[in-house]
Amino acid sequence: MNGFSERAAPRRLLRLLPLLSLLAFLSVWHLAALCTDLLATPLDTAKALAGMLFFPTSKVTLLHHVWASLCRVLAAYALAIAAGVLLGVLFGWSRRFHDYCYPIFELLRPIPPIAWIPLIIMWLGIGEPSKIAVCFIGSVVPILVNTYFGVSRLDPTYLKSAKILGAGQRALLTHVILPGALPSILTGMKVALSSGWVCVIAAEMIAARKGLGYLIIRSMESGDMVHILVAMILIGSVNFLFSWLFSKLEGVVCPW
Amino acid sequence: MSDAKVQVRQLTKGFGELLVLDNLTFDVRPGEFLCVVGPTGCGKTTLLNLLSSWWTPTQGEICIDGRAMDPKTQNLSFVFQESSAFPWLTVEQNVQFGMKEKRFPPELIAQRTREVMGLLDLESVKEKYCHEISASAEQRVVIGRSFALHPDFLLMDEPYAQLDIKFRLHLEDAILALNRSTGSTCLFVTHNIEEAVYLAQRCIVLSNKPTSIKAVRTIDLPYPRDTCSPEFIAIKDEITEMIKWW
Ligand SMILES: Nc1ncnc2c1ncn2[C@@H]1O[C@H](COP(=O)(O)OP(=O)(O)OP(=O)(O)O)[C@@H](O)[C@H]1O
Ligand SMILES: [Mg+2]
Repeated sequence: MNGFSERAAPRRLLRLLPLLSLLAFLSVWHLAALCTDLLATPLDTAKALAGMLFFPTSKVTLLHHVWASLCRVLAAYALAIAAGVLLGVLFGWSRRFHDYCYPIFELLRPIPPIAWIPLIIMWLGIGEPSKIAVCFIGSVVPILVNTYFGVSRLDPTYLKSAKILGAGQRALLTHVILPGALPSILTGMKVALSSGWVCVIAAEMIAARKGLGYLIIRSMESGDMVHILVAMILIGSVNFLFSWLFSKLEGVVCPW
Repeated sequence: MSDAKVQVRQLTKGFGELLVLDNLTFDVRPGEFLCVVGPTGCGKTTLLNLLSSWWTPTQGEICIDGRAMDPKTQNLSFVFQESSAFPWLTVEQNVQFGMKEKRFPPELIAQRTREVMGLLDLESVKEKYCHEISASAEQRVVIGRSFALHPDFLLMDEPYAQLDIKFRLHLEDAILALNRSTGSTCLFVTHNIEEAVYLAQRCIVLSNKPTSIKAVRTIDLPYPRDTCSPEFIAIKDEITEMIKWW
């Protein structure tokens, strides 16, 4: 924390700031909603949210929709971590593998994951695998890039010291390269999680029976303002929750 | 000559056109503390990279215990000029790194850790990560990590280059104590002549590039040495002259 803000306001007040901004946001929202029919009030949205928790919307309750999206994101996330870290380490570790495969990766990387959706639907149909595949593409790229960066920018003195201290190839990988690149890998994982959410919403908007993206699209078709808002709020909240969990996790697995 | 721990014969190293080390021949005796001094950029790091067989010499050979150098079978260790304590490990884990990689038995690891941490005054920070301790403590961690292995031959490349002068004397005493308690043969590179005279039993003075051995000076002052005594200052001035005289 910088000393400046500490001195400018007492600590307790600072802790209230996020709450204050939330309140301000809700007030502005409320005022705006009063002026126009194009926006539901926060209170109406909250009521709808409460109702959707218990009464099914599009056949299932709200938590079911969240759960459906969550499962897709997390399944893709797990695959992306495995593949991204593996490839990233290989790129950073082996000059030859890097020179051989990196150009292809560089070529594919800028294609937005959402642009893959039509192809993926043609290949995998409109079931779960295709949604997971889209999220996977969105998640794997940041993990791979950050892992590669972490490994390739590792100070060579560390490798040299470890070798001289008796580390073999495998120990070098598990005791030096992976922990050395871990901060970078975690950064990649953090980005990948939000990017996975973006992709799952997009994928669900195109073809799904449940999930938050599906909820938004359905509500749009039926002109159901509050449901759209509820889904948006939930997307924001779930992401927020994950970022928060992630920063906690980071402190535990990467305390240096 | 046969009792030498390390024998260096006609060692030459060039990078393309640039001849850096020109025909060095010297011995390191068992348990000895040998210092190498030379002007900046004369090839001191290069010499150590050859001695640790990280690089192969253009010409010449290096033997340990009469056999050609092989880092896999010979127990040698290296403290680098730049700090190399692993930031993801605590002080204690850093000190134990080499012993764990070499699968020392747990009791031995515990005993050596205690010994080294005591001598280097690291007990109080053993749970800390390297970014939480001072630069001098970090360098002590690296030194301890190497000494803990009781290497036959320990190479140190200006391990204090980045450190404050007031930490140096304290660390130098710690290194001498470790050298004596482990019996490791030490080769210590520096461009600080006072440091060399304080530490070394013998001191190799290198010339400018292309680098050859200008002199080997035996320093037989008793330890601990007094940096203000006339004998100390005389040797220091003598070596300074040799380096300046070029
Ligand atoms: N990998 C390399 N390729 C080409 N030239 C090199 C290489 N490494 C070192 N040199 C050259 O060898 C010479 C000696 O370098 P070295 O790092 O061994 O000097 P040093 O005595 O350790 O210097 P310092 O006092 O700065 O640590 C330098 O002139 C440098 O330019
Ligand atoms: Mg050097």
